[in-house]
Amino acid sequence: MKQRIKGLHLEPLWWGLFSAGGVCFAVLVPSVVLVFGLLWPLGVVDVSFTTLQSWYQSLWGLVFTAVVISLPAFHAAHRIRHGLHDMKIGYGGSTTAFVCYGSAMVVTALGVIAWWSA
Amino acid sequence: MTQPRTCYVDISRYDPERGDQYPTMQRVQVPYDDSTSVLDVLQYVKEQVDSSLSYRWSCRMAICGSCGVMVNGIPKLGCKDFVRDYVAHKGVGRDHAANDAPALTIEPLAHFTGERDLVVNMDEFLTHLEAVKPYIIDPASRPNNPSAATHSQTPAQLARYQQFANCINCGLCYAACPQFGLNPEFVGPAAIALAHRYNLDSRDHGKHERMQVLNTHDGVWSCTFVGFCSDVCPKGVDPAAAVNQGKVESAKSMLIQLFKGSSIGDSRS
Ligand code: SF4
Ligand code: FES
Repeated sequence: MKQRIKGLHLEPLWWGLFSAGGVCFAVLVPSVVLVFGLLWPLGVVDVSFTTLQSWYQSLWGLVFTAVVISLPAFHAAHRIRHGLHDMKIGYGGSTTAFVCYGSAMVVTALGVIAWWSA
Repeated sequence: MTQPRTCYVDISRYDPERGDQYPTMQRVQVPYDDSTSVLDVLQYVKEQVDSSLSYRWSCRMAICGSCGVMVNGIPKLGCKDFVRDYVAHKGVGRDHAANDAPALTIEPLAHFTGERDLVVNMDEFLTHLEAVKPYIIDPASRPNNPSAATHSQTPAQLARYQQFANCINCGLCYAACPQFGLNPEFVGPAAIALAHRYNLDSRDHGKHERMQVLNTHDGVWSCTFVGFCSDVCPKGVDPAAAVNQGKVESAKSMLIQLFKGSSIGDSRS
């Protein structure tokens, strides 16, 4: 076991979530804003609330939570943590990692709870 | 004969042997034309104004990598950077001596320890280069193995790493990297690009040795993808691409270790 984890650290995990979240941030979040923030209220996209609700209650709702809420939250957390590091805030310590990724985890948990209770 | 155009230049001066506590700026008026490089300016100053000025140079053609300085805060090769590009925006052909604001400020490379005037301690960079074993590692081709095949390579195999092999070790990317400025233990752009160059070489078998260095916090993971290293690189090496491809490699290497259960240094892949 010792050999297995020797020299390993969590940075690749955060970076992986950051990269995946970056793609979601760039592609999916703007399209969601476009569809639900603009086209839907304008009546261009015509879906009934009940259709949307049943869609959200299915597994697709969980996928939506992951790619539109959770991954972008981890992307932002990683950026903010490195931004703080650049400003020498919490330099070298794990407090900023705890706060940033912790917040992203809380956001993720809230998203899952919202989906579960929908 | 028209009068040569002149401009003012500020040069950072520092000589601890003379008792200098801090670097100071020396303002000089220098002649220039369209072909005057920053290195030509320094040579003019040393020959005509102040022979005590120290700076490094050799090839004058962007090959040796020894003439790196900060020009107006940006890392540049002195021999590849021209005065005309700094004065042009103030009006072509005007005599800038009339306005004694300096067109150029020349300082030693940022993030390195200044030794004297524009000369910095390059050992800080070279130790990082050495750490990544920038040479072909192939146990089968040691001199004591007469049966070893010669190293042949196809053009396609060469193309995989060629871009990263163009580095001239000038150190401009280290002066550009804010992470190296914050943490001098960071292996840094050129060394990671060089490690990547050998990892991509079909003749090499030393990747697992280099990954031990790249996998650490001070390896590829110190990079926050600022990308300024690639902007300032005079040879188009694109070290930022090497660092970020290195992150993918490092993530793979760590995953493999986690599943195979052997430490990175022990894996013989
Ligand atoms: S990667 Fe480019 S900037 Fe960095 S040392 Fe090599 S040639 Fe210079
Ligand atoms: S003098 Fe050789 S690179 Fe400038």
